This record gives sequence, structure tokens and C-alpha cells, in this order.
Amino acid sequence: MKPPPFAYRAPESLGEALALLAEHGDDAKVLAGGQSLVPLLNLRLARPALLVDLARVPGLAGVDQRDGGLALGAMARERTLERSQLVRRLAPLLSAALPFIGHPAIRSRGTLGGSLAHADPAAELPAVAAALDAEMVVLSAARGERTVAAKDFFSGFFSTALEPDEILTEVRIPRLATGMGVCFMEVARRHGDFAMVGVAVAVRLEAGNIAEARLALTGVAQVPVRAIDAERSLVGAAPDPTRFAGVAEAVADGLEPRSDLHGSSGYRRQVARALVRRALAVASRRAAVHNSQRDLGEGDTG
Amino acid sequence: MADATQLPERDGGMSSMAPPRSDRSAVAERYTGAAVRRTEDLRILTGRASYVGDLRLPGTLDVAFLRSPLAHGRLLRIDTEAARRARGVVAVFDGAAMAKLASAGGGQASELGSAEAGPPSFTLLATDKVRLVGDPVAMVVAETRYLAEDACELIEVAYDPLPAVATAEQALDPASPPIFDDLGSNILSGPTERQFGDVAATFARADRVVRASLSQHRQQNVPMECRGIVASFDQASGDLLVHISTQGVHGVRQQLARQLGMPLERVHVRAGDVGGSFGLKFGASREEVACAAASRELGRPVRWIEDRNENLTASGQAREESFEVEAAVTNDGDILGLKVKMVIDSGAYPGIAGELVGAVQELIPGPYRISAISFSGTVVVTNKASYVAYRGPWAAETWVRERMIDLIASELGIEPLEIRRRNLAVRGEPPLEMVTGPSLAGVTARESLERMAELVKLKEFRDRQAAARREGRYLGLGLATYIEPAPGPRSPGESQDPENWERVRMRLEPDGTLAVFTSQMPHGQGHQTTLAQVAADWFGVDIEQVAVIVGDSDQVPQGFGTGGSRSATMAGGATLHAARALRVKVLEVAAQLVDASPDQLDIAHGVVVGRAPSAPTLTLAELAAAVAVGGRLPPGVDSDLEVTFAFDGGESGWSGGTHCAVVEVDAGTGLVNIERYWVVEDCGELINPAVVEGQVRGGVAQGIGAVLLERSVYDETGQYLSGSLMDYLLPTATDVPAIEIEHLPTIPLDPDVNFRGVGEGGMIVAPATLCNAIADALSSLGVRVTEQHLPPARLLELMGTVPA
Amino acid sequence: MSGPSQAISADEIITIELTVNGTPRRGYAEARKTLADFLREDLALTGTHLGCEHGVCGACTVLVDGEPARACLMLAVQAHGCEVRTIEGLAPEGTLGPLQRAMWENHSFQCGFCTPGFLMQITALLAENPAPSEAEVREALAGNLCRCTGYQSIVRGVLAAIGAPPAGG
Repeated sequence: MKPPPFAYRAPESLGEALALLAEHGDDAKVLAGGQSLVPLLNLRLARPALLVDLARVPGLAGVDQRDGGLALGAMARERTLERSQLVRRLAPLLSAALPFIGHPAIRSRGTLGGSLAHADPAAELPAVAAALDAEMVVLSAARGERTVAAKDFFSGFFSTALEPDEILTEVRIPRLATGMGVCFMEVARRHGDFAMVGVAVAVRLEAGNIAEARLALTGVAQVPVRAIDAERSLVGAAPDPTRFAGVAEAVADGLEPRSDLHGSSGYRRQVARALVRRALAVASRRAAVHNSQRDLGEGDTG
Repeated sequence: MADATQLPERDGGMSSMAPPRSDRSAVAERYTGAAVRRTEDLRILTGRASYVGDLRLPGTLDVAFLRSPLAHGRLLRIDTEAARRARGVVAVFDGAAMAKLASAGGGQASELGSAEAGPPSFTLLATDKVRLVGDPVAMVVAETRYLAEDACELIEVAYDPLPAVATAEQALDPASPPIFDDLGSNILSGPTERQFGDVAATFARADRVVRASLSQHRQQNVPMECRGIVASFDQASGDLLVHISTQGVHGVRQQLARQLGMPLERVHVRAGDVGGSFGLKFGASREEVACAAASRELGRPVRWIEDRNENLTASGQAREESFEVEAAVTNDGDILGLKVKMVIDSGAYPGIAGELVGAVQELIPGPYRISAISFSGTVVVTNKASYVAYRGPWAAETWVRERMIDLIASELGIEPLEIRRRNLAVRGEPPLEMVTGPSLAGVTARESLERMAELVKLKEFRDRQAAARREGRYLGLGLATYIEPAPGPRSPGESQDPENWERVRMRLEPDGTLAVFTSQMPHGQGHQTTLAQVAADWFGVDIEQVAVIVGDSDQVPQGFGTGGSRSATMAGGATLHAARALRVKVLEVAAQLVDASPDQLDIAHGVVVGRAPSAPTLTLAELAAAVAVGGRLPPGVDSDLEVTFAFDGGESGWSGGTHCAVVEVDAGTGLVNIERYWVVEDCGELINPAVVEGQVRGGVAQGIGAVLLERSVYDETGQYLSGSLMDYLLPTATDVPAIEIEHLPTIPLDPDVNFRGVGEGGMIVAPATLCNAIADALSSLGVRVTEQHLPPARLLELMGTVPA
Repeated sequence: MSGPSQAISADEIITIELTVNGTPRRGYAEARKTLADFLREDLALTGTHLGCEHGVCGACTVLVDGEPARACLMLAVQAHGCEVRTIEGLAPEGTLGPLQRAMWENHSFQCGFCTPGFLMQITALLAENPAPSEAEVREALAGNLCRCTGYQSIVRGVLAAIGAPPAGG
């Protein structure tokens, strides 16, 4: 299982990288962490004429606070984000999801932008991006910069809004309201495998009831699913198991997951039902803990 | 002798029958039974082990195979011209070209026992037909594997697709297109029919007959190291030197000589470190023979290192068997008799499936008092990878019997533990043999069950289970009891079969080293340490003075190699006897040199010592040096410091035991958590407890993998779907729990050799154990488990949560 | 490296300079050559093993700039300028380091094919977390496949290396 031949460039500036893509477009592929692309090359399922390696382009791996939220360079390694206290503080849902991505040796090389651009329907980060209303900053030589909201970024099975001459450079994650309890849960065949179903949940409680909810799923469709209707139905409701079971039922009923050798469509729907119910309960408990700590003056739990 | 070698207190039973030993060094027993650290590890832990892919022979060319994308089809036309002209390509062979260079034999079938004469006939590379996805069609030999794969893409092949025979049911249908024209149908053998005991009368007197259709799914060995060979033919001398990842060098040698039409003495087979095998790497596969033939043709070393996709798709698979079972029982829970019909899905090219009918049939009664068996077996061919040996190839006998026992228990409303208690044979009481023949002497299965009952505290578990059920949680406990022929009791006529003899050659080297030559081919079993332990103890040297030589057909005695859980008994025993015989020889020589009587001498720490305190001593090196110069010894004294001992296993016996698992099934996701896993086992006298426990745990891990994760999946067109490790899922460190092991005292049967094998037992019994636990967890839902593969999606179907 | 507007060829041989086990090394390879093959073939460091070539089994795990990485999922050219550590560099030739010694004493491995990947991953784990619990060890090693041992002996070896014997066997 050896890769087919391809040319390779490691540009040392963003301009150079963009110029290469402008010239070679469809025949080129961007190499970020390689954890998704290199297996495809080894299996000869991807056959680009040119690989454009972004590793030497400066300024693409930042982890910064901006406008109250996070500005993350597309080349930021998943392991770096996993270790980042800033990310833990400003996007705890992202921190919660990161340990589910593969294994440490994958996360040491894999990048945020690479995962989002690859858009595997069973990957964790696209669901987190959807839940957090992330914005993708995209650059091309011909058209300059544009921003694409998460809900518009993932367009289909391993497809995104990225044009062949574009590079995803930055991911902006607005900060969630203070006091949201978060939970990322996943069912996979084994620890570290792609999700059969994953759910990303955040809940905020006010006076004991749900004031805001975020709910996104992975593994259940060709793109991450943001369950907006479910979120709306939770606002104002008490965080009780019956309510969560009902919401989980409604979410699952609306899904048409694929069947494959790891599980049928019916199985994935059932797992979605179980995980949504459980994740809502956990996130609500965490939100309640935050509120009681806040009320006791025990500091900012973000 | 004042310090007569009192045996140290050991497993119950041994000391009562052992007289003081004069045939063993006074300092013996230092190593046997101890967890001596492995000499192999020094190279393994530092990255200096040498697997076949690590060899660097100058001038080596690399091979890539073009393989069929179809499960079944006629190969109409193949054009290799463009590939031949590609960069770095030295040669391209299609099926017709390769057929002129070497013949195809039976692969594992010929290696492990079936006849190779007779249909079906086939070629090394496909000529007129392709018979499975991954069937090798052409072979590119190039400067690098990268370039060989590039050239494969330039080969044009025209196929005429044929309907795939994708299931055993289709193979049994006479209308299915024959996969082999000269076989006529897709039935390779059977249905056979054998009866043991009075089946009709037994079923007539039963209170009821419990019926089930049981199945094992297709699984595979998946060693971490794929197959690999470097074949190097010297055109000047006519010698073929083969380095290969294998379980036995002589089997490879014989097969290559036969299929290449070469004299045996011109074929030399070597193996270095082998990265696991579990039954896969016996004999030479079609690809490996083709590499040897190519090397002969090209006069250069030809290397093929199988990649994982090839390994999963084409190297071989195992275990796909279905059973119709009827059990004659009484309402009190006596299992009177069994009727079993078995169908084995053998895949396309011949493997070992033909051997299995007899093995499963013979072993299915296990350690139980089942007095009548009727057994029928049919072997079919399908468009799948060959059925190869996989750790306990006959394991279906335990799966079927132990699952059936629990089904019987469920139907009668009796605890599975009680049914086993009721039906296990009692040692020393009739029946002394299984109704199918093998002796049950020394079997401690009943003792293992009783000990397990003490450990698992069933009553407390049932209370906890009921409480959990009230909370909507599903806990289960499952048991299974087994015996494994490791190597099993000797049966009549066995001594006539060369495979039932194991030879060890032992030589005292000029420097005083004890060299032990064995046909054992370790691939994780640590023989270079364990056999050294036995040799050191019985000869009288320190273990550092022992060298165990493996993996060279020019040096090691003829033998089967490693497999079948026989090495502890066969090789351990041959080593013991050889060491004892060589010690006698050496002491006779020493007696001449120091002018004493042999029974006044001993060998301790590599030095010949006298029993009297002032007696002269002689190092083994001095002795060897003295003997090297002729004339020092009187005529009639054998000065050849070498012994070859052929051992037939002595009064060997079974290994066996009882396993138990406690599991929880998550009703929302179908995921299974194994809360605890116990093993109570008897594997005879232990040579190295750490090695034994490693084998047990590794086998159990594969059993866990089989039930929860692993399945070789073909779709209805015969397309193989599990061709990567993302789809064929191996258990990881978070899937295998800590396994608690207890050893039982063994019943010695032989005056000297009571080591038993243990390599396959874990894998033989773990699937039944785990399935029984899961079935117990779901018993309140009325779920009847009749299949071995229980991934989460399947469990939710069985539980009724998800439509099937 | 050539500029973007120059003709780009897949046959181009790239000079790769990196530090391996503390020693500067240089090799020449096509872009498509994986780091695993480069280590094994070009630098004659065959201790790093190939078990799957699609990033699942972990046998090829090495350290790149201190972090664990699957060498089969890196191109050799991506390691240009990096510090790579392989199993051969864990201890001076002919010796065992403390981790290796603990695994020797605990019979951690059998056939040994998975061993280099495990040792490098464990080295990375202990550098980040010098006192992991048994559960943390199992989770950190869940990306390394072993077919022989059932993992318990490996976990025991790691816990012994840090001086914390496991609860069970």
C-alpha cells in the first residue's frame, strides 16, 4: 500500500500557497496534518498531481482570544488545542470533544482545519463547529477572504464549501454564554474510532429551567446535524428525563442515518436517541453545578 | 546419595509418585516453573529483532500482485506489455507464465494433512478463472514496491463476470456455478455421517429434544506482521535460499521443493523473528511459491512483504461454520446424546477445512458424559479466501457444546452451572473415554468448574443481577468448560504418523555451550527461553549456557514446527529426554577422563563435579576439548557429544479448564462491558508461568474480539468489505479487561513429561464464555443467542429495540 | 525547495535532512515516500515496523519533535528539519533503559512486532503524565494494537516502570 506518485511543494508564505492552488486547482490537494489524506494516498484512493504542504506557512496555527471568543489557526494541531487552557475556558465543548478524536499520535499531527475541510460525516470537529456556530475564514488568490458559517460550510458527503483554489485559514468560535454546561458523547466501535453517533450538547439554566440549548450530531447524516427545532423546544423547559426522552425521540425520528457494516440506520437512530437523552442530562447537571457555584460565589467556571 | 534430589514440593500429585532422581542434576529445578525472563526480549525491546521485512539482501527486487476485483469470473485476456516497460520493472508474470515455472499444490491443505492429489486443480496465479476478490492474477517484480504497484496499474485484464457463490447456502445449491470446473459442484466433501454409541435408543429414551441452529462467523488470524518472503535463487549453485515468516521451516522447504521440482537438499529455508501467526503461516502460499519461482527465473532475490489489505482480503480466513444441533435430554438435565450436522464454508482454494470435520466430530463431547453422538459434516467451496488454521481450528466443538448446554439449561429452567456439574465426567469413574474415542484420563474439568463456582459466588451475583434488572440494567454471568488436545492423549496408530514425533538435537559445543536444535518456530511463545529452562535443569548448566537454535532447515531436525498447542509437551519433552540422555553420555565420557564411576559424578552449573568433596572437577569446555582430540577415550565409549531424541509425547493428556465472564449490556447502545473475566485452568506442569499466562490472555483477547468486534464480511456479490483495520476491528487495551488466572494442580500421567500446551485454549473457550454471559444478561428479554458475533447493533436487534 | 511557478515533477528527488536519535541524518526520496519507509529503507532503522500502512495499528509510532506520530501517515519530506526518535534511540546500544527493563521483567511482549510502537507511545505518555493510572495507561495505548498479549502484561510493565504495581495480575 504505497502512495502513487505526486509532486510536492511546501510554500513558505500564504501567498505562495494560494498561488499554487490558483495554478493547479483541481489537480492539487492541501496537506495539513495528513491524518486523513495520507491513508487515502496509501490506499491509492486519492491521486493528486500536487500536494501543497501548509506546514511552513507562518501564522496559521495560532490559538488566540479575539472579540471574546476564539480565533484558531486552521493548522493548529488537535493535541495543542486539547492542552490549551484558553480553549478550555472559551470553548469547553471543543475541549470535551477533542479526546474522542482518534488517539494521541493522530492528534499530535491532525489539525483543526484539516478535519473540518475533510468533512468526514463521522468526525467530531464538524459537529462541534456546527454546535458553536463557528465561522470559517477562507482565502483564495482570485477572490480574497470570505467567511462561511458552519451551517453553510459542510455541503455533503466529504464535501465543503471550499473551492479548489481556496485554503481554510482560521476558525472563529464565538464564546457561548457564561454558565453553559457542556457534554460531548460518542458511541464508537472502540475507543478512538470514528463515531457511529456523536452528540455535542451545551445547556444553560436560569431559575432551574433551560434558557438556551445547543445540540449537534455527527455520524447520522452526510453533514453534521444541528438540531435547531430540538433546541427551541427545550427553551423554557425543566431539565427532566421525560422531556429529554421526548426531545431525543423527536431528534432521532428526523434522522436518516446510513447503514454500513458497523450498524444499520435503525441502530444509529436508536443510539442517537440514547445519546441525546444522556448528553442533555449530563450537560444540564453541569449547568446546574455552575449556577450553584456562581450563587455561592465560587468563581468563573466559564 | 545423601543429597538425593528430593523433588521440591510442587503441584499436588507429583511428589507422591516421584522417586528420588538419579538421572538429573542435584541443582535441577532452578528454572522449570519459574517466570524466567526471556532472552528474546533483549532484541525485541531494542528494535533489533529481525523480521523478514528487515532483511537487506543486495540486489533484492520487490513484488506487487495484481489481484482480482471480482469474486468470480473467467479471465479472458491479460496484457502486461505496458507494465513490463514501466520504470524500474524487471519482470511481469501472468498466470500462464508462472504455471510454466512452478506447480500449485494444496497450500495449507497439503501442509496440514489433506491429500493434494485430485480435484480441485488450480494454478499459482489465476489463469482461466478468478475465484475470490484478491485472487492473484499477475506478479510485478520491480526495483521497489512503490514502482511495482505503479506497474500493476498498467496491466489490462478482461474478465467475464460469473455469479458469485457468496454463501454456503448457495454453494449447497446444485444450480450454483461450479467454482472449480473439475469439482463438478461446490461441495468439496461430505455429507459424511458417523455415529458413536446407540443414538437411536438414546434419543428414544429422552424426555425431550432441544434443538438449535448455531453458527460461528468468518474471522481471521490478523497477526501484526503480515506474510513475507525473500526468495533468493543462486543460479550458479542451484541453491534456493528462502527467508520467510513461518510457523515451520521444514514444511515450507518440502512444499517448495515439490512445487518447484527441486531436490530437497537444494532448498534452504530460514526464519528469523516472526511477528505472530496464529495458524496462518504454515507451508508456502501461492504467492510465496510464485516468489521462489520468480527468483529462480531471474537469478535475483525476490521479496514480497504482504500489505494489510492483502492480508485481510486474501491470506485466509476461518471459523465460518453452521450447525444444526439436537440434544437428547432428561427433564432433570442429563445430556444423553447429540445429533450434529455441520457445514463448513471453506472459501475457494483448498485450505484445512477438510480436516476439521473429523476433529470437531471427535472433540464435541468434551469432558462430559455424553453417551451418543451422531455427526454429519459437509465442506463447501465459495468465492472467499481459503479456510486456514486459526488458533484452535476445531474450536466450534466447544462453542456449539457450551452454547447448547446453556440453551438446554434455559429450556429446563436449571442453572447452567448445575447442568455442567451434572454432566461432567468424574475422573476415574466411567466413562473413562469420550464416546468418540479419546481417553479422559487426567481430565480436571470438573475440578475447574468447582473452583470457578467458589470464585464467582453465583448466588450473590444472581441477587445483584435481579436488582440491576429492576433498574433497567442488564448484567449477565456466563461459564464455559473445555478441554484442549495439548497435545492430547495418545491414540492407537498415532505413533505411525511422523507428525506425532518431535525431535530435538542437543550438542555440547566446544566452548561448553549446550546447543539445542528444535523444529519449533517461535512466534511469541518464547521457546528460546522455555526450552532453555528445561535443558538447563535436566543437563546441569546455567541457562546462560544454553542456546536454542530455531528457524534453519539446514540445522534443525525435521518437524512440524509450532502449532497445535503441542510444543510444551512435544518439544519440552524431547528437550527433557535429550538433555537427560546427553547428560548420561557426558558423564560416561567424564568418568573416563577423571577415572571415576559415572554414578559418582554430576553436572552442576556447567561443571562436572564428583560427589566426594575432594573429587576433581572438569568444566564442560575442558571435557569437550579433551574429547575433540581423538584417542583420549577407550574404544567403545561414545565420544560424540550429541544426542537426537525423538519423542512421541509420552503419556500425554489434555489441557483444559473453565472460564467465566460477568458482563453488562448497555440497553441504549448495545455496547458490552466485561466487568470481570476469570480463568481456572490446568495446563500440566508449567515451564514458565509468565509465558503460560501470556498465551491464555492473548487467546481470550482474540475470543473477545471474535464476539464483540471481528468479522470477515462479504456482501452478496462476494465483494470483501473488511479489507482494512478500520473495518476488521481488533480489540484494544480498552476492550480487553484484566483476566484473572488460577492454575489447578495437574494429574501427572507420564513419569517425566507432564508439560501440556496452552496456546489455543483461551481462544477455544472464550467465545462461548462471553456469548453465554451476554445471553444470561438478556435472558429476561427472552433472547436466544445462537450466533457468535454479537456487536452492539446486533444486540439491539436481538433485544427488540431495533428492527432486524 | 523550488518556487511555485517552476515545473513540478512527481519524480523529483527531495533532500531530507533531519535528526534521528540525536544524530543528523540525510536521505533522498520522492515526495511520496512515507517516513516509515524512509526510516526503514533509507536510514536502515528497521526497528520501526509496518503493520497496516493506514494509521490504525500503531506499530510504526515514532516521536517527532517529542510528540508521538504514526510514521506511516507522514511523508518523509514532512520530517525535514525535525527531531525524530525511534526505538533504536531509547537506550544506548547494548543496554536497556528503565522502561525496557520493566517490560522485560514483566514479560510484556510476545512476538515483538508491535513493541516498537508501544514503547514510543509509552515514552510519550510518561513524558506528559509521569504517573498515569491503569485506566489512563489503557486509554493512552488504545491506539496501539497487539495481537499476542491481551495487553495486561504491557500495562503491568508500564505500571512497574513507574513504580506503581497494578491492582490485578
